[in-house]
Amino acid sequence: MTAAACSSSATPNGSSGGKTSTVGTLVIANAVRVDTLDPEANSVNESIWLDQNLYTRLLQPNATGTGLLPDLATSWNIASNGLKYTFHLRSAEFSDGSPVTASDVVYSIDRSRKFAGGWGFLLTPVKTVTAPDPHTVVITLSVRHAPLLADLAMYAYSIVPAKLVQAQGKAFFQHPVGSGPFYVTSYKPDSEVDLARNPHFYGTKPKIGKVRMLIVPDDNTRVLMLESKKADVIENPPGNLTSQIDKSPGLHVNLFPSTRVDFIQLDEHFAPFKKLAVRQALNYAIDRNAIVKLAYQGDARPGASFMPYKMQFFDTGIKPYPYDPKKAKQLLAQAGYPHGFKTFLITVSGDVAGQAEAVVVKSELAAVGITVSIQSYELLTAYDKEDNGHSEMGERYWTNDIIDPDEVATFGADCKGGANAFNSYWCSTQANTLVDQARIELNAAQRQQMYSQVQQIVYQQSPFVVTDYSPYRYGIGDWVKGFHVSPLGAYDLSLETLTVDGH
Amino acid sequence: MSRFGTLPRRLVHLVVILFGITLVTFFLLRLIPGDPALAILGSSYSHARATAIDQSLGLTRPIWSQYGLFMDRLFHGSLGYSFFYSAPAATVILQHVTPTLFLVLYSAVLAAVISFPIGLASGLRRGGIIDQSARVFFTLSFAMPAFWLGIILLLVFSVHVQVFPISGFGRGIIGHLYYLFLPAFTIALGFSTVLIRSLRAATIATLQAEFIDTARMKGIPWSQVLWRHVFRNAVLAVVAVYGVNLAYLISGTVLVENVFSLPGLGTLLVNSVSDRDYPVVQGVTLLFAVGIVLINLLTDITQSALDPRVGQEIGA
Repeated sequence: MTAAACSSSATPNGSSGGKTSTVGTLVIANAVRVDTLDPEANSVNESIWLDQNLYTRLLQPNATGTGLLPDLATSWNIASNGLKYTFHLRSAEFSDGSPVTASDVVYSIDRSRKFAGGWGFLLTPVKTVTAPDPHTVVITLSVRHAPLLADLAMYAYSIVPAKLVQAQGKAFFQHPVGSGPFYVTSYKPDSEVDLARNPHFYGTKPKIGKVRMLIVPDDNTRVLMLESKKADVIENPPGNLTSQIDKSPGLHVNLFPSTRVDFIQLDEHFAPFKKLAVRQALNYAIDRNAIVKLAYQGDARPGASFMPYKMQFFDTGIKPYPYDPKKAKQLLAQAGYPHGFKTFLITVSGDVAGQAEAVVVKSELAAVGITVSIQSYELLTAYDKEDNGHSEMGERYWTNDIIDPDEVATFGADCKGGANAFNSYWCSTQANTLVDQARIELNAAQRQQMYSQVQQIVYQQSPFVVTDYSPYRYGIGDWVKGFHVSPLGAYDLSLETLTVDGH
Repeated sequence: MSRFGTLPRRLVHLVVILFGITLVTFFLLRLIPGDPALAILGSSYSHARATAIDQSLGLTRPIWSQYGLFMDRLFHGSLGYSFFYSAPAATVILQHVTPTLFLVLYSAVLAAVISFPIGLASGLRRGGIIDQSARVFFTLSFAMPAFWLGIILLLVFSVHVQVFPISGFGRGIIGHLYYLFLPAFTIALGFSTVLIRSLRAATIATLQAEFIDTARMKGIPWSQVLWRHVFRNAVLAVVAVYGVNLAYLISGTVLVENVFSLPGLGTLLVNSVSDRDYPVVQGVTLLFAVGIVLINLLTDITQSALDPRVGQEIGA
């Protein structure tokens, strides 16, 4: 705490604002409303991160997002042919004191598999999920499926009490009962969700007794809440205010490495982008360091591979394309566009970093003869154009839901994966085959090799310009000790151990 | 002749307007690119997943049949199911009505309390100290955007001098009055400018009317002339301005709701449009339409209650 000599109206131990928070309560201010407390139906990131405090899964990702930890399952065996997984469950209880049984696990996994438009597609190879006894769950597969454990550690496969959900239907998720470290005491999706420590949680009891999650959409208001100590942690303080927060006594901004990849897709419906040399030229013509500096205040990393840099099987050998406008011009001439061409770049209005990035891209491409007009649209309008092949260049980003590369590779590199290789409509049969092979290969070293190859193909073929890896940004009071966000965005593990000194 | 003779005709208008609103919102909404599946799936969008979602939401049916279903539900008192909240749209909307309604009424009352004395005083002493300072102060506050003024008020009264809360709605009437003071005050300042200007003009006009001279010549005490003749006539002229602006306030609270983190209707509408939550957007738009038509109706009724000539002119 550095506030000793400061004359500001509120010091962490000062008398101000004592009304709203007591020792042992963590107040987090998030920017967006909660969509649902139903893990199979979650789509808003902040809600996903909230829900992970309420439920347990068979396994869970570790704090660095690079491996798995036991959760409800203490151990598991995989049959030698890779087609049968047996999970041994610990004795655990839901927050109402009833036991978590293998049939709850079976019910929950099946429920999420069947959810319309949900994450069932990840588990297509799953044939059966059964519970031979209350502490054992067996999953059989039709083909080997390397990402299975990572899939089961995903939020959508959280365990809910079968009987209660069956009896109450959707109403259950207004006041859900889970077996995670916290449970919900009050739920107002647009303003505040209150959590209390779950006395029945199997693991170490969290040191804090309560969590208040406030929904504060306005960026400036969130910063004011932190400055007046009405919030302990705020999500996503605006980039232009981070230095101001860092200068405030007792406050700081933390950047947590994420699985976010920012890229510009090059839609092959636009003739020039069909040519490899043009796509590569764009990669040479764009100065990633300028983007990092101007759009992210220096807080991001220049992009190289299309895969997030904080994950399994990321190829560290791939380096960002160097900024080389001369080479870009050469490549353009080689492709038959010595004087460049006209194109447009779709951006999302209100995305401050994205707008700044677009300006950088426009001026740098102008230097090699390409005229870019920036087209700003409201979020879903922009996505609609990009998803349906009506963009030429389009800003987009990716974040992982599971720790296994299968997901990002399917969406980004496999043109048959359903997302047209991040909407570039670029297609490589070699990449498709590798993605399919890596999915059924259980040997980690082999998979590393395959995913490295996929990353190199995408890097060389350049169906998109990977601009940067941007971090999660949180404003935090110094009195909070141990707040940590994993690359997947989750902070449930840190809420189990962090402390809040009275303020 | 009835003073409220226009009422039945206005109610028929209401029904026609509402029918038009359902048509416009339903079809305009579907012209916006992007759909609920896209909102739900975001970056992990694939056609297979989107189709599954569209089917489960009933969005694969022909659009006329979707409209028919919507109208059928409406007649049975249902607005359908919110895609985002997985809850009945009517329930979702009801949960958001209170903060907005409270905020609008609160700021309307605050605005009246601020502007009636100042407007009258300005009109009575044209060019006086009250008139001049009110003109400067309120023109300035009118020129400040609400979201900026709101942040400044928060900075002063919630961060530096911690007398008001930064966000939230509070519990109970007293709690609401306390929590909503800054947002209501932000809105009331802008609203007051309009009211003060028109009240001042109306007061000046009334003071020049011949019936005021007559009243004074009859020897009626000045205070009584002011109260019974000047005030009543001046306020009458402002009722219409008040009503029109009140209707505008209902849909215009969104910026202030955002700054003060109030879960109100404005915020709900903006979020629901962003997420293509069709049932909620349709419901809120209908509600706004009903509210604005009703306020206009009430304005006319109030005017005719204050001034019998109004009702007769319209009803004749």
